[in-house]
Amino acid sequence: MEEVGMMQNNMEILEKIKQIVADILDLEEEKIGMDTYLIRDLGAESIDLLELAVSLNAAFQTEIRDDDIFLRKLRFYLEEAKTTGRDHHAFLAKQYPFLEDSRIREILNDLNGGAVLRISDLVCYIAHHQQ
Amino acid sequence: MSRRVVVTAMGFITSMGNTEETVMERFQEDRVNFQFDDAFRDVLVCPVPDFHLNQYTGRLKNRRYLNRGAGFCLAAAILAAQNSMMTDVQRSQAGLFSGTGPNFDLGEAFPGFSQNEPEASSLQALWMLRFLPNTASSIIAEVLGIHGENATISTACSASLQAIGEAYRRIRDGYLDIALAGGGDSRLNRGGILAYRKAQALHEGSSDPGTSYASFDSRRNGFVPGEGGAFFVLEELSCAKKRKAQIVTEVCGYGCSMDGFSMTAPEPDGIWAEKAVCHAMKEAGVEPAQIDLVTSHGTGTLLNDRMEAALIRRVFSGKQPYVISLKSWIGHLAAACGAVEMAITLLCMKNDFIPKIRNLKQPCDADIHLVRENGQAQLNLSMIQSFGFGGQNSALVIRKWKD
Repeated sequence: MEEVGMMQNNMEILEKIKQIVADILDLEEEKIGMDTYLIRDLGAESIDLLELAVSLNAAFQTEIRDDDIFLRKLRFYLEEAKTTGRDHHAFLAKQYPFLEDSRIREILNDLNGGAVLRISDLVCYIAHHQQ
Repeated sequence: MSRRVVVTAMGFITSMGNTEETVMERFQEDRVNFQFDDAFRDVLVCPVPDFHLNQYTGRLKNRRYLNRGAGFCLAAAILAAQNSMMTDVQRSQAGLFSGTGPNFDLGEAFPGFSQNEPEASSLQALWMLRFLPNTASSIIAEVLGIHGENATISTACSASLQAIGEAYRRIRDGYLDIALAGGGDSRLNRGGILAYRKAQALHEGSSDPGTSYASFDSRRNGFVPGEGGAFFVLEELSCAKKRKAQIVTEVCGYGCSMDGFSMTAPEPDGIWAEKAVCHAMKEAGVEPAQIDLVTSHGTGTLLNDRMEAALIRRVFSGKQPYVISLKSWIGHLAAACGAVEMAITLLCMKNDFIPKIRNLKQPCDADIHLVRENGQAQLNLSMIQSFGFGGQNSALVIRKWKD
């Protein structure tokens, strides 16, 4: 039951985020789903992320830490894990507690494709901070 | 031989329409868009109906940072660029001169403002862009790919005419071959109307919005705020001819000055305004008697119209030109007035049409030729005058183009 409730909550968060992102990027909401890449697919730039953080903050009444929600320091963390000889997966899991293990695996396999940030990451961040 | 500067395209958004056909039709039908403001029920305004910026831009996320005046700038600049048939390379070398106003739209930028509770959390991250004077230029340059010399001019109601004057001079003097110049503005918002109301500059109306506002009438008591924008492509003559551009008019002289007298009121004798007007004619190499038409600043305020009528009487003492006030048709467009009035003046010159000063019953000056009825006449040379808050004066002479 709890899982169903969580999924429902995530869908509600997604709907709100779709509205906000569509508004900021002047796009149709239909173009946006859980798997959509924010930068790779939608072409979001840094000023758009600035606006997004402000809007998410206002919409969810949650403090949004730009570095975390947008995975800004991802490459920096990976470099740090590498130089200090730590496990990449475990290190990222510690930095991004809102991401599930499967998503971290996916990110690690996707690094060559460009910016990895997906709409689902924003949803997970919000859901995690609402708990 | 000095370089000659011509206008080869224009784009305009006005309360009388955005095309030659609609504006000329409105003149003939005597149709204007004066109405009472939604928020301040006793204040007359003249809005542009159904303005949707996305109709001009398509999808454009940075639209969110434009105040309404900057939106008029962008829309008009896009229309002018489209009409000019400039290539990408020509656009990249073009200059850009924008006359913009301050954004007084506090209500929209700060939700909760009207309840005295501006709410920081709902502000955009970059809300300041809605208030920066060069936001219009920045977005025009981005959308149209313009990279040349530029300036944003915010000299109150003189701003857009000065922008055109500056573009003209940079081309004449060889800094540029081609430039976009113009302006856009809107003060039709809570903060804007509040500002002019407090300053007691607004027209106090009657029951019928269309029949009371008249420039140069002895009963005048203030201006009616309007909104809109216009941009022009100015070009060095041989460049225009080489690319077979259609020439609309020649810009032949410009002058500007400052009263150094008052923060708001014009210097009552118009000494410095006259300098600007006379300098524009001197640069154009024309005598006052050659000017056929004066598109006056004609705000309908007590002080401006008195000063301006006396100035026209003095300067054109030999032969009085037709004096019109386009503000009696579209209201006072603040920073945008010079550009939009130049666009409409060009339509009038093309059609040999002289629009009346609407609602003028008791002219405040019997010695100048205040136009009381619509008429037809050959209009070869026109003078456009803008005199702004803070004693900002500018004047431009344009000549009808004949091949």
